[in-house]
Amino acid sequence: MKTLFHISLIEFKLAFRNFIYIFFAFVFPPMMLLMFGSMYGNEPSSFYNGHGAVDVLTPAYIGMLMAVSGLMGLPLQLSEYRQNKVLKRFKATPVSTGAIMAPHFLVNSLLCILGTLLLVIVGKIVFNLHFLGSLPNFLLAFLLSVACIFSIGFLIAAIAPNNRAANAIAYLVYFPMLFLSGATVPLQIMPGAIVTISKFLPLTYCVEILQGTWLGKPLSDYVTAIVILSFVSIACIGVSIKAFRWE
Amino acid sequence: MSENTVISVNGLTVKYKDFIAVNNISFEVKKGEIFGVIGPNGAGKTSTIECLEGLRKQSAGEIDVLGINPADRRKLYEHIGVQLQEASFPSDIKVDELCRMYTSFYKNPADYHALLEQFELTDKKKAYVKKLSGGQKQKVSIVAALIANPQILFLDELTTGLDPQARISMWELIKSLRNAGKTIFMTTHFMDEAEYLCDRVCMMVKGEIAAIGTVKELVAGADLSQKISFSSKHTDKEALQAINGVTQIMQNDDIFELYGNGINFQRDVVSYLMEHTIEFNDLSSTKPGLEDVFLKLTGYRLEETA
Repeated sequence: MKTLFHISLIEFKLAFRNFIYIFFAFVFPPMMLLMFGSMYGNEPSSFYNGHGAVDVLTPAYIGMLMAVSGLMGLPLQLSEYRQNKVLKRFKATPVSTGAIMAPHFLVNSLLCILGTLLLVIVGKIVFNLHFLGSLPNFLLAFLLSVACIFSIGFLIAAIAPNNRAANAIAYLVYFPMLFLSGATVPLQIMPGAIVTISKFLPLTYCVEILQGTWLGKPLSDYVTAIVILSFVSIACIGVSIKAFRWE
Repeated sequence: MSENTVISVNGLTVKYKDFIAVNNISFEVKKGEIFGVIGPNGAGKTSTIECLEGLRKQSAGEIDVLGINPADRRKLYEHIGVQLQEASFPSDIKVDELCRMYTSFYKNPADYHALLEQFELTDKKKAYVKKLSGGQKQKVSIVAALIANPQILFLDELTTGLDPQARISMWELIKSLRNAGKTIFMTTHFMDEAEYLCDRVCMMVKGEIAAIGTVKELVAGADLSQKISFSSKHTDKEALQAINGVTQIMQNDDIFELYGNGINFQRDVVSYLMEHTIEFNDLSSTKPGLEDVFLKLTGYRLEETA
């Protein structure tokens, strides 16, 4: 536990030295919220089924945060560590495999949570953001979404032969998911073809269930999303553990 | 395994698909010695050291490190310190952060402040590892290995890529670690390094042990000639034939080159010249070294392949 804490603490510091990562986790989402919030306001609108735009966009941007930390942060850190033999060097110590891997999940989850809190604070102060759901339901949706997105990130790290490939795959997975899942641009304004594509992107279901539980809909409305997210998590983690190489 | 033996390797074989990197080698390492594996690239040095470190699984053979099978890695790493061939640190980490992290890995860690002091890195505590010089980076990697408080330190090509000055200061550090009681297992492809540093040398060629022993033993075992050269206008080849141990004489104008064997060859030559009052100048002798042993065993020079 002492080891896990120390590694996590240092990994947390290291994450803050990565400018691009910090920009996309802490600057970009509030910036988007400020931009679109000031365009559409947070008054109930028929376009958003009687909800304010900010109340709908905020949970979607939480999905965007997960994509940054899970699909970019996590796999790129792990593949860099493998390429630079950091993982191999850690293996030459008495540290357990868990204590080597867990900090990457912990730190990226923590950044995701901090990013979410920042987003909520900005939304609350600037646009009087409302949370209409039940906290346990939303937390469950949050956890399930993190599990799914992070497991995809872990899979990218596991199958990429080197750091360059990991970068390429991460970008190829990240950007389509970001723009075609409703995480940045509401699917309501997208053409039918893109809505169809979005059905194949796991992040779409994250955004769906995050938005739904945020706005107070019951979990029973999201059985499909829950099944898909759970399935993707288990499948990706299973394949990753099989495929993962230390060097 | 005798009491003094800390590593024992028996029939170690490492295969990669069809390629045999290490072919059935056996050796022992004694407590408190600097044991060096030397050989050209591809000789199987890194495969061997990584098997001992538990980082690679051997295809066949038994390895015993401090009574532990290296496959039992978490037990092994409480007692050994490892430096890998390539730098292996997170890219944005600072020296003291790295040390704190490694300290948290061990039950009985060494005090890293004292280690940094010993390695003259105290003023680099707050520096990013990636900003350090090559020599300093290698020192940091030794400090990280020593935080384990290891009985055996494994160093893989420690001085490759360092400038001559940094190499020599590294040699002194390694000697001081040995003098402090650590056993050191190292690989290198520098003959001068092995000759200066290693108590015993294991010469590897194409996955096999070509020779093993102290530098003196290897040189003596290879039965190599010593060369003594001098200039003199007052003698000739025939007169010098009578010197004890001379096997070959080369003459070029007034310059003579004498080849011969025996521990007292140099003394025999000089006393012969004195006794016969043969005047001579510019006497120099060249003792055969590891490089010559390697040349004799393999037919080529290591520097050409490195």
